[in-house]
Amino acid sequence: MASFLVPSWVRLAARIFIVVTVIFLLAPLVVVVGVSFSESQFIAFPPDGLSLRWYQTVLSDTVYTSAFWTSIRIALLVTVSATLLGGAAAIALHRRMLPGSAFLATFFLSPLVLPTIIYAIGMLMFWSAVFGPVSFVTLWIGHTVIAIPYVVRTTLAVLSESDPFLEEAARTMGAGRIQRLLYVVIPQGLPGLGAGAFFAFNISFDEAVLSLFLRKPGLTTLPVQIYGQLEFSPDPSVAAVSTIMIALTVVLILVIDRMLGLQRFAST
Amino acid sequence: MKYRIASAAVAVSAVLSGTAFAQDKTLTINSFGGAYEQAHRTCVIDPFEKETGAKVQIVTAYSADAFAQLRAQKDAPQFDIINFSGGQEIVGAAEGLLSPIDASKLSNAGDLYDFAKANLAKGEGPAYSIAAIGLVYDSVKSPKAPTGWKDLLDPALSEHLVLTDISNGYGMLGFLMLNQSEGGTLDNIQPGLDAVSKLLEAGAIVVSTSPEIQQEFAQNDAWIAPYASDYAYTLRKAGLTAKFVQGSEGTPASFITSNLVANRPNQELALKFIDISISKAAQECFAEALRYSPTNSKAELSGEVAADVAYGEEGVKGLIRFDPAKIEANRKAWVEAWNKTIAQ
Amino acid sequence: MSDRTENLLLAAPGLFLLALAFFLPIGQMLALSVEGPEGPTLAHFSRFLGDGFYLGVLWRTVRLSLIITVICALIGFPLAYIMARVGPRARLWLIILVILPLMTSVVVRTFGWVVLLSRNGLIPELLRDMGLAGRTFALMQTETAIVIGMVHVLLPFMALSILGVISRIDTRLEEAGRTMGCSFLQTIRTIVLPLSLPGVVAGSLLVFTLSASSFVTPNLLGGPRLQVLAASIYKSVTQTLDWPFAAAQAVILFAGILLVLIPYVRLTARDNG
Repeated sequence: MASFLVPSWVRLAARIFIVVTVIFLLAPLVVVVGVSFSESQFIAFPPDGLSLRWYQTVLSDTVYTSAFWTSIRIALLVTVSATLLGGAAAIALHRRMLPGSAFLATFFLSPLVLPTIIYAIGMLMFWSAVFGPVSFVTLWIGHTVIAIPYVVRTTLAVLSESDPFLEEAARTMGAGRIQRLLYVVIPQGLPGLGAGAFFAFNISFDEAVLSLFLRKPGLTTLPVQIYGQLEFSPDPSVAAVSTIMIALTVVLILVIDRMLGLQRFAST
Repeated sequence: MKYRIASAAVAVSAVLSGTAFAQDKTLTINSFGGAYEQAHRTCVIDPFEKETGAKVQIVTAYSADAFAQLRAQKDAPQFDIINFSGGQEIVGAAEGLLSPIDASKLSNAGDLYDFAKANLAKGEGPAYSIAAIGLVYDSVKSPKAPTGWKDLLDPALSEHLVLTDISNGYGMLGFLMLNQSEGGTLDNIQPGLDAVSKLLEAGAIVVSTSPEIQQEFAQNDAWIAPYASDYAYTLRKAGLTAKFVQGSEGTPASFITSNLVANRPNQELALKFIDISISKAAQECFAEALRYSPTNSKAELSGEVAADVAYGEEGVKGLIRFDPAKIEANRKAWVEAWNKTIAQ
Repeated sequence: MSDRTENLLLAAPGLFLLALAFFLPIGQMLALSVEGPEGPTLAHFSRFLGDGFYLGVLWRTVRLSLIITVICALIGFPLAYIMARVGPRARLWLIILVILPLMTSVVVRTFGWVVLLSRNGLIPELLRDMGLAGRTFALMQTETAIVIGMVHVLLPFMALSILGVISRIDTRLEEAGRTMGCSFLQTIRTIVLPLSLPGVVAGSLLVFTLSASSFVTPNLLGGPRLQVLAASIYKSVTQTLDWPFAAAQAVILFAGILLVLIPYVRLTARDNG
């Protein structure tokens, strides 16, 4: 938007607002990063002394790295499955041609409403009775179920803002179903699908309750590992793991930006 | 073609169920994470693997979570052995989730104190460690060293007192002991509840997990907390000036039991594992590493270690075991009454 | 193929998965809520609904969730708007800053707040130094702490939900509004806000349901003395092992959330066709 249209007091207020919000968002992370360099055993801030011992502990311990890869694997699979299933469902819901669309929209939201613990126990009972021991697949399915609502919500929100006549126009001009979907509807919903995919990844990557109960030996995700460490012997190693995660996220985003031009994507 | 479908079906079901083919020499157990799991490995798992050639897989799960998992998975249990520290074996045995144990199959059972093997035939596994519940206090900051449970009510300490929610097993035992020292019984917990509301009014705080206790001692000026002896040692190892003292009115004992899960194929091997858990060597090792009191009467401890635990015939006799069956029967009602008492 | 078939085909895989892998297991679990020792019973419900303590827990859950949702929307909307209108470089950094908290485990982030809010933590110390608080003042184990922690957890969801929609609004509409004599705030109120409402609605739905059903953060920051319903359910499942009661509480939570959400969705759906 042309800059001359924004009064200067708005610019000032926006700056202050952003600074305060960023401080709020970063405050606990600053604590986490600070604690990770602490010399002492405690989670205290400001930290006592300065050392890298917790990084050494974490990086030399295979439990964290293997838990990390388990989490990444599940989260990537969930991102794909939840975005495909949820995105497709959102497009169908958006067109409002299915009987009871409103009811269906609520249906797709329902996994959000119940505390995960109830679903975790229910899923574990169900799976054990029908398929036997739980596995990687169980967790994948479980995470997909709780991630789908996010994709449906964000995609629906974006689609509802897009021009409904575009698809009609494409139809009149002779575009087939697949073409309309690929070249009109999906691009229209892209920001929503993108946000949904990101949420799906994040939900799975940070999910602790399902992962805790649908567990078997060798299937420990990073949040479960962290939760366990905090529960039995809390020390700054969990802060070190989290700091590494924070750093990886920043680097990853910057790399993606370099390669794909995230700025362009983010501004579409 | 048929063959191909069949093999695909087998492959699919193997993927779905995650069953490994060479399962006969593998045991799945739960352990409690962190330093506990390390000690578990050194004291029990490594010797067991060396002796039998079998492999042990650990799932890190606390008693409450492990029990929920066991109950939900009753159609296809994944644990061979499940260890509990909060009395869950009583419910598990009553619901048929655990297998009765024939004491004659455990070569070390004879060395256990009687209380540690009382209900093997019912399915409650043997106790292999005891956590003694007493008073954990900061020996530098606290103006006086507490000697008994009555000292918890000292107004000078209230603002620096940390109570543990009774949803936590140790918290439950500490509360019952406070109740008893106030004149209550297992049939009447009102005196304990009254004492708790008085303490909360005077500034005490309630937490529900161990790391919060550490946090309170390390950062927030906590002086005293009724909790377990092993945790005082954990705090001390972490560099705090924490000490443990048994209250003069008595020391409630929390048993850590090793239980045989029902409907699992490898019970012989699992029994061997339990047998090693209750052996003299394993228990000495646990006491040395984490300051848990042994349940094996033959265990010999050095003076330094012995000072931190309930040791020997005499020491063990001083332990109070609140009737676990009664605790289980009342747990729901007590937790509810407790929640209402502490609610703000 | 008719349009209806096409849409059915699109929705089917998701419907199928949810029906099999969500409603079946959850139904089995919730059925426990009417299970008694002597056949079906409503005893678990009457135990909850007839007890002031549990009703208080329910009320706290709903009340805090509403407060959290409103605060998230109040911060999230301007945040998303600014993100949508700044230059690409600044936007990238703002997105990183909003996403960063999400990439840290909720448990760890909440522990960060525990450190900041407890008696000797940075924030109470600061307030004490300024003479605003007493000696034993702590923010930990207060409803304020729950709200702070939950807003921190859920703000990114709100901001990103709104951002997706705002970035689709044609900026020429705003320019037109401005050149036709609207003040900046009028433009926001009459053009940007109505157009971004679907995002605000989507974000609010997410935030409200998530805060009503989350357990880790309220439990750690509120402590056992300020229970919310999800924490109470968690305790019934793992500690008192009373699964029928846990199921009954979940049904009540579900009903409570629907009672709030359905009128909200109706209302907002009418506005947005």
